[in-house]
Amino acid sequence: MSGRTQIWAEFATGSLVLAAARALRDLGHRELSAFTPYPIPELEEVLELPRPRLLLALVLAGACLGGGLAFLIIWWTAVVSYPLNVGGRPLNSFVTDIPILFESAVLGAAATAFAATLGLSGLPRLHHPLDAISGFERSSLDRFWLGVVFDQEVDPDLPGALQELGALRVHRGEAAP
Amino acid sequence: MTASAENGVVWPGPDPSASAEELALLPRAQSDRALTEELLNHVLQPPPWLGRAILVAGGLSSVLLAAVLYTVLTGIGVWGNNIPVAWAFGITNFVWWIGIGHAGTFISAFLLLLEQKWRTSINRFAEAMTLFALVQAGLFPLLHMGRPWFFYWLIPYPSTMGVWPQFRSSLTWDVVAVSTYFTVSLLFWYLGLIPDLAAVRDFAPERWRRRIYGVFALGWHGSAAAWRRHRIAYGVLAGIAAPLVVSVHSIVSMDFAIGVLPGWHSTIFPPYFVAGAIYSGFAMVLTLMIPARRLYRLEHVITRDHLDKMAKLLLVTGTLVTYAYAVEIYCAWVGGDAFERHLLLEVRPRGPMAPLFWLVIACNCGSPLLLWSRRVRRSTLALFALSLTIQLGMWLERLMLIVSSESADFLPAIFHGYRPTLIDGGLLFGTLAFFCFLFLLFLRFVPFIPLTELKALEFELRGRK
Repeated sequence: MSGRTQIWAEFATGSLVLAAARALRDLGHRELSAFTPYPIPELEEVLELPRPRLLLALVLAGACLGGGLAFLIIWWTAVVSYPLNVGGRPLNSFVTDIPILFESAVLGAAATAFAATLGLSGLPRLHHPLDAISGFERSSLDRFWLGVVFDQEVDPDLPGALQELGALRVHRGEAAP
Repeated sequence: MTASAENGVVWPGPDPSASAEELALLPRAQSDRALTEELLNHVLQPPPWLGRAILVAGGLSSVLLAAVLYTVLTGIGVWGNNIPVAWAFGITNFVWWIGIGHAGTFISAFLLLLEQKWRTSINRFAEAMTLFALVQAGLFPLLHMGRPWFFYWLIPYPSTMGVWPQFRSSLTWDVVAVSTYFTVSLLFWYLGLIPDLAAVRDFAPERWRRRIYGVFALGWHGSAAAWRRHRIAYGVLAGIAAPLVVSVHSIVSMDFAIGVLPGWHSTIFPPYFVAGAIYSGFAMVLTLMIPARRLYRLEHVITRDHLDKMAKLLLVTGTLVTYAYAVEIYCAWVGGDAFERHLLLEVRPRGPMAPLFWLVIACNCGSPLLLWSRRVRRSTLALFALSLTIQLGMWLERLMLIVSSESADFLPAIFHGYRPTLIDGGLLFGTLAFFCFLFLLFLRFVPFIPLTELKALEFELRGRK
């Protein structure tokens, strides 16, 4: 995928980057990405980010795994490995399992939600290619970056257009594969 | 949308959709830069009193160390516990600390799901309180086992003894509930913290600090896709934590309710305990927040409106607790169980622990009535005093609940009183000191006001033109 270029523009406020993203999309650019200090839900809509179905599916799977595992342990220890007759009560007493099953399902779901959020975003990582741009670190503080990917030639009017949209500066680099 | 926005954009322009009440939550319009500098400088340039306070709290924590060591080396005979009063201080402290933790999760989870914007300034604070309170809580059952080095017997592992934990016991449920609660609270707290740690990493002038915070930030870069994932996962975790917080104290209450002792064996216990937990927890949040907001000059971030809303929640939970007390006594009165009647109508209000009982009523049912007054709700001094009163009341409530039922159950021949020892007091005092120590460390090293969430709120209220 080499040879693809990416233009990065730096903005001072969230509303500017939002306006710029909308304008670029209206100009027909589809491969947009952005880095912001805080989440901007409208920007996610403009960038047409999909619903993170995988994340949600993983959380559900984690809940089932946690609860299922807990049930297996309780059932196996109480019925197979160490059956203990307590006043003639059934060995497989599901009702008294409910608290532990619930807690374990919650634990499984929360652990997967945490791990999947990091994992799907490529974290933890030691280095990010965009760190090479000087001043990019402010994207976690008070600056907003908007990126456009070009397959072949970069539209020569784009840097000017971005500046007109309020960009403080425009950076040209190689797109990540 | 104007596509030709210029560099000299007027900022902030008030969002016409934000109501005056919402704007009052962030009364001072601040740019992202100003907010970053102000809030992160609390971490990078800590106030001079903080180091001394950490030293003092750390020094006082040695009381805990000494009391724990003495207990472990000698055995829990050094506590005032006896038969029949076998739970006494240890379990009182456990239930009290764990209840305090509940407000943190309530603020972060329930209020997030209910889209309460005022939670933003205080949630990190409250979540940290949860974690540190749980640390103190966990200590007591461990010590109460008598041989804490065998704590792993509570965990199902294949041992040569061939025995397993009894999963039908509410005490085993408790182990699972509390450890799950701690883990989920930690994950929830840390997930929200990651972007702020990244902000410290990118803001700190020194290289070593960038490195250390960089490691804990796990390489976070706020791409829109990462934010979307983070936002949704945070919401999912909140959705998970909300029923969890209800379940944990319900299960703690079942430690009592599943037993047959008079005064314990009651179906009202789960909701009663959950309300009480959130009640004492909100009081603890206020106890910590009121001095912190003054010492750090955060009155424009944690406003009187925030305190007012917290006070209203205190009032609501206090009323619920009062209702639970009333129902408990009413049910004993009409229930016809002689032991229950004796305990709730004789032993508690008229027995040797009567002063405790009436103090509990005064602290937990009487004092919150002052919160009907708007002036009290907006006075930091009054709120601070009330928050301490309520915490005292809730601690006494658990003591009264545990000791009175155990000391006077079915057979008058084995009725027995209870006196705590110095070690009991030392453990309670020690956990208080250790809690303060952990909390001060948190203030020292962690951005304790959620910076990114506050910026997002600022954008939501004023940033859109």
